[in-house]
Amino acid sequence: MSADADTQGWVGVRLLRKEDRRHLLGASTFTADVRVPGLLEVAFVRSQFAHGRLGAVAKPDGARVFSAEDFPHLKPIDGGPELPSFRAAPYHAFARDKVHFVGQIVAACLAPTRAQAEDLADQVGVEVDALPAVVDTVEALAPGAAILHDGFPDNAFIHATVTEGDIAAVAAAAPVALRRTFRMNRQATVSLEGRGVLAYWDHRLDELVVTLSTQGAHVMRIGLAMALGLPEHKLHLIAPDVGGGFGGKNRLMPEEVAVCALALKTGRPVRWIEDRREHLMASVHCREHHYDITLYATREGRLLGLKGEVHIDAGAYSLWPSGPFMEASMAARNLPGPYQMQALHVETHTVATSKAPMGPYRGVARPGACFAIERAVDELAHAIGMEPAEVRRINLVGPHQMPYRTIGGMQLDSGDYPQALERVREMVDLAALRRRQQAGEDDGRRIGVGFAVYTEQSGHGAAEWTKRKSRIVPGYESATARMLPDGTLLLLVGIQNHGQGLETSLAQIAAQELSLDPHAISVRYGDTALTPFGFGTFASRSIVFSGGAVARATRALADKARRIGAHLLQADVADTRLADGAVHGPNGKVSLAEIARAANVRQEFLPAGMPPLLDETATYEPEESGGFFSYGAHAAVVAVDPETGVTTTLDYAIAEDCGTMINPMIVDGQIIGGVAQGIGTALYEEIPYDADGQPLATTFGDYMVPCAPELPALRIHHLVTPAHGTEYGVKGMGEGGAIAPPAAIANAVSDALRDFGARIWETPLTPRRVSDAVAAACGDRSEDAV
Amino acid sequence: MTAITLTLNGDRVREEVEPRDILADLLRDRLRLTGTHLGCEHGACGACTVTLDGLPVRSCIVLAVMCDGRTVETIEGTRADATMDVIRRHFHEQHALQCGFCTPGMLIAARDIIARHTRPDEATVRRELSGQVCRCTGYMGIVAAIRAAAAELHPAPGADLRTPDLSTS
Ligand code: FES
Ligand code: FES
Repeated sequence: MSADADTQGWVGVRLLRKEDRRHLLGASTFTADVRVPGLLEVAFVRSQFAHGRLGAVAKPDGARVFSAEDFPHLKPIDGGPELPSFRAAPYHAFARDKVHFVGQIVAACLAPTRAQAEDLADQVGVEVDALPAVVDTVEALAPGAAILHDGFPDNAFIHATVTEGDIAAVAAAAPVALRRTFRMNRQATVSLEGRGVLAYWDHRLDELVVTLSTQGAHVMRIGLAMALGLPEHKLHLIAPDVGGGFGGKNRLMPEEVAVCALALKTGRPVRWIEDRREHLMASVHCREHHYDITLYATREGRLLGLKGEVHIDAGAYSLWPSGPFMEASMAARNLPGPYQMQALHVETHTVATSKAPMGPYRGVARPGACFAIERAVDELAHAIGMEPAEVRRINLVGPHQMPYRTIGGMQLDSGDYPQALERVREMVDLAALRRRQQAGEDDGRRIGVGFAVYTEQSGHGAAEWTKRKSRIVPGYESATARMLPDGTLLLLVGIQNHGQGLETSLAQIAAQELSLDPHAISVRYGDTALTPFGFGTFASRSIVFSGGAVARATRALADKARRIGAHLLQADVADTRLADGAVHGPNGKVSLAEIARAANVRQEFLPAGMPPLLDETATYEPEESGGFFSYGAHAAVVAVDPETGVTTTLDYAIAEDCGTMINPMIVDGQIIGGVAQGIGTALYEEIPYDADGQPLATTFGDYMVPCAPELPALRIHHLVTPAHGTEYGVKGMGEGGAIAPPAAIANAVSDALRDFGARIWETPLTPRRVSDAVAAACGDRSEDAV
Repeated sequence: MTAITLTLNGDRVREEVEPRDILADLLRDRLRLTGTHLGCEHGACGACTVTLDGLPVRSCIVLAVMCDGRTVETIEGTRADATMDVIRRHFHEQHALQCGFCTPGMLIAARDIIARHTRPDEATVRRELSGQVCRCTGYMGIVAAIRAAAAELHPAPGADLRTPDLSTS
């Protein structure tokens, strides 16, 4: 924090959001709200087969229906790490030769309305010579499985091993070895606004203007330029209001390339607005991890090591830029969680199947890893007759051990993990719950309590992303702070606010540094022609990186303002300070408005030789770029009906630490929203596929998102350990809420059904899965009895 | 094409529509009232909620021809509605929106819930919101905002007008 900033400050204030007003008036502008004259709508013809050779595409109207043959020069858009062992399969915006999942784009139809375009699409004939689908993640690698991509020796994009310590020695000596399998099933990201893109050639500017719903316009420009073969200065990307993303709008997708190509080919404005069916079928899918892990421990509950195999179902293709590879390495490296152990050995397989390609979703990989380790810890506790929370307590990294490098290679920087656990234990009153369980419920339901502890790597920069062999390295952010002649401020940033309240938090940081009222500050983003380059909003990075860049840019601006102010006050700079929107000297003050006027339009008032303007651009990356770890403990209390398998969440407590909070209200909002999505993963959300590779959840009738009645009122406790090495001590926290709920809820359900011995190993815990688990356990027992 | 006449946000509007056109497309694409959002287009998310003759409906599953001779109000029509201003203020104060995509539909639903229940308890608000999806907020702020707005709009005799305490520890 600048020594000169007024200490009363804006950082840490529950400032109400600047972005609310337009939404509350119904006056916001999402991509689908943008109109240009002469617009044509796209309806895509999508593959109905999960795997097959593509034959002729019969077009009822050659002038309005387009397929791969119309775009021979489009470049494929597959991505992935820059590793020789990573196998790439070309992903074309329009399928060529083969189709690899239901929903893949085969053709595009253009008409003045979407309904007319869909009428046209209904008349397009697509010949497909069907081939066997590959659906099961683990069986996809079994000998004899159909090979999906030509030239692949098996159906893996990559196999990799994460290993540290001597697992063989640990395994040989460990008194307890507990082997379990876990599965987190496939889901979609389900932003309420689907994807959308509108493109037209602007003749005045001589550029393709592309309005799209994305988390990072600058990076998407790189990908689109590459796919279209256009130089980047001929591409102008605008992301207006974006109705949620959660990771799902952070990959270059075929629809975006196709719409741009159609606009270029026809010379007409063209748009496509994703409908919910397309979203569930063909937007990025996520999760779908399979774990087979063995946990080694002492009989007293000390963890010794973990060995296992992780399968990640990446779907048919590897999305640009980074593909699905990170999912596997992050899952493996996060498997030890925040626990101390001596050895880790994990084989990972990133598997290609006949399903929609995988992308990131809030928490990326960690909800699965947290689910696997935390479920295994509970199983261990039951096996050795200990209270699960107690097993956690004795294995957690302690505050005096910080910084601590986990056996997975994660450098936990600071915090008090055991205290977070202790807090949620108190919040749900574990002892009272155990008594309640003893007493039983009148209605026949079973009560269970489950805990989970998580870490959330945030604000990781160049070191981490180069380690991951990422072809785009989001190691910094940039910001321009521009003071206008009347002393109001424009902040131009490279991130993309899409619900995170960044118009408010970033304004608070600028307000802090400049002692300005946030109302005098406008934050602008989402336009490649307007803002300096930036990577966008994902990976819990914006407050660390963009917040840091804003702090630096505004601090530089404040320094210059003070020098001008000192000159106007005829004082020494060292004797001035910035407070209440003015530079104060020993004999008076001069307002920022007067200083800004001098800097912009009255240069005769500037010190001799000082260049005009108050306009500073800064970049920011933390010195330590391995990341800053937010963390927390969650405790869930559930009631389960063993007959119907229906789970009700009765109570949910969170103790978390994300360092300094710029705006605690926004932090709470992020936590609550993340936990709601995590509960969705735990109990409701799933896209199953049948044996032919047909997706079975393509409407909100089959795909359940949590609604208000299913969710409890959450209780949150904050621990605050400011990070060393970020501006103000912030840590990123946008994803953390979504990481622990599947683990905490599954542990609670397992705890509730402990008397039955029901095996709880797979999310979502739908009523059918739970009642089947109870039935299976009862069946086992009656067999035992025979 | 069929000619229809409706009262939309207080104005008489005459339009030619196809029998298959839905109300939401008429509002958004033809009449440029884009505050009504489409989150699913199959009646399951509530983002497109407007009122038809004063009752909330999902404009994605109401045919435009069904609105002939009737009265439709969209979020744009509520800008001068004092009740809605109170609800809006509480949505703002309770951080009841993040991306804002669900917000117009939520507001229309909220006004209806408050009109029918006067001072609903938390369970009632949650149950009544079951058809409105918000993917961002986890609903806590929305529930709190509706309860706070209801308390302000329908004060109980001698009631404490402070907003419900959301502090968590
Ligand atoms: S868009 Fe109408 S209910 Fe979802
Ligand atoms: S605020 Fe984003 S869907 Fe509700």
